[in-house]
Amino acid sequence: MSLWRLEWMRLTRTKRWIALLGVYLFFGLLGPLTARYLGEILDVAGGDLEGATIVLPPPVPADGMAQYVGNALQIGTLVAVVVAAGALAFDAIPEMGIFLRTRVSDVRVLLTPRFVVTVGAVVGSFVLGGLAAWYETWALIGGLDAGDVAGGLLLGSLFLVFVVALVAAVAGRAASVLGTVMISILVLLVMPIFGVADAIGRWLPSHLGGALAAIPAGTESFADYLPATAVTLVATVALLYLAVRFASSREL
Amino acid sequence: MIETTGLTKRYGSTEALKGVDLRVEHGSTYGLVGPNGAGKTTLLGILAGLRHPTAGSIAIDADRSRIAVLPDTPRFDPWLTGREVAELAQRLTTGADDRVEDVLADAGLADAMDRAVGGYSRGMLQRLGVACTIVGEPSLVLLDEPASALDPLGRREVLDLIGRLKGSATILFSSHILADVQEVCDTVGILDHGDLVFQGSVEALLVGRAVPRYRVRVRPPSDPVARALEQQDWVQDVARSGADELSVTVSSVDDAESKLAGALAAAGARVVSIGPEAVTLEQAFLEVTQ
Repeated sequence: MSLWRLEWMRLTRTKRWIALLGVYLFFGLLGPLTARYLGEILDVAGGDLEGATIVLPPPVPADGMAQYVGNALQIGTLVAVVVAAGALAFDAIPEMGIFLRTRVSDVRVLLTPRFVVTVGAVVGSFVLGGLAAWYETWALIGGLDAGDVAGGLLLGSLFLVFVVALVAAVAGRAASVLGTVMISILVLLVMPIFGVADAIGRWLPSHLGGALAAIPAGTESFADYLPATAVTLVATVALLYLAVRFASSREL
Repeated sequence: MIETTGLTKRYGSTEALKGVDLRVEHGSTYGLVGPNGAGKTTLLGILAGLRHPTAGSIAIDADRSRIAVLPDTPRFDPWLTGREVAELAQRLTTGADDRVEDVLADAGLADAMDRAVGGYSRGMLQRLGVACTIVGEPSLVLLDEPASALDPLGRREVLDLIGRLKGSATILFSSHILADVQEVCDTVGILDHGDLVFQGSVEALLVGRAVPRYRVRVRPPSDPVARALEQQDWVQDVARSGADELSVTVSSVDDAESKLAGALAAAGARVVSIGPEAVTLEQAFLEVTQ
């Protein structure tokens, strides 16, 4: 039994992988379906509203990815934060923290497998959901350029790495799993508010989350995300540094 | 093995430890006793590296990887089995997992080792905690009230496990159950409101604090015997406990040994039994801390 296997078992035995993969795959399959049949769905639901008729433009392939990103960015990120907090807030129950901390010489030995395995699970689920959305978009609406989708998936994955690093840093200070979740979500909610101003928004990590929709749609190019990519990389490294520092200085 | 000098810990304006000079000899079993809030957990936490002292120094003659810590209520991920928890404990300390089955069997968990610990009772968790503590063959074991919340049977089992550790490791064992300390430990330290008010062997504590007192059982009536003893100038006090038992406090053991039997005979007492009254750790503890 190693700390790496412990984290793998945390994902599998607690069924957290099902929550992660389930939510991303669900939205990956639902997004293109919704984009393709939104008009029909509205008709069935009563599209004639007091004489006004909603007329939707014919769906285009980029709509499939946009629907996926919209849902994955919100619900998916929320689930990712909860799963990450469950793994990274290892002092939330002090007796469990004591068991681990008194058996390793450096807190990085504990943090590394938790961070890496969580990132792997979150990013893997996001990518699988994205690939499902890409395939279904091709099947229902039309094909999307593979390079654009890959670029969007890469940038979206980088955003999720940042999210897990944020949770790791917050877990070093918060007293509980719930506290870690709440503070992390608060930070993630505040970020897009600053991002309303485009001059600022294009530098923020949250900007990367929309890349999988915007790049295949042609509204932005991969190069447009370079400022946010640079900031996200720097912020992720800084957050990981803080996570180690906070966890090292914490008293139980 | 462990030596602290002027160890101080403050939480805001509260001084949890006030210049503690602890000395735990190599191979000893040291009982750290004190009422709730005395600072026992803080002291153990600092020695375990889980808390940082505000002032003072610590010298521990043991490699950090060979120091094992058991909190008062050990908890583990509930979806792991007992075997997996012990494997993790040994793997993290020695890099192997060859002692897991033996240690779990010693802890009485042979039949439960493949069950998820989420279904373990409090006593089983405590025994698993002790098993995880000893599986890495530590040279220093820090135990924080390991039996305080257990029923008598669970307490017995945990004390037996600790007893088996004696000789193979130095043990620092905090408790407010004085009988446990008296049974398991050879050295005792009394911590009271952050002060280490006594440190030494259990015998030194008991003898040093003992007022010479003898318990005398006589055939009733005991009142005339008590009155006769009270008139002796070397008798300080005679307390009656029951119809036939007297607790006689004397000025010295010599006086009692040379004069008590004669005084009882002169009083016409029909003596059933006579002997020195044992001072319990609890009495000594109360005397030191009050």
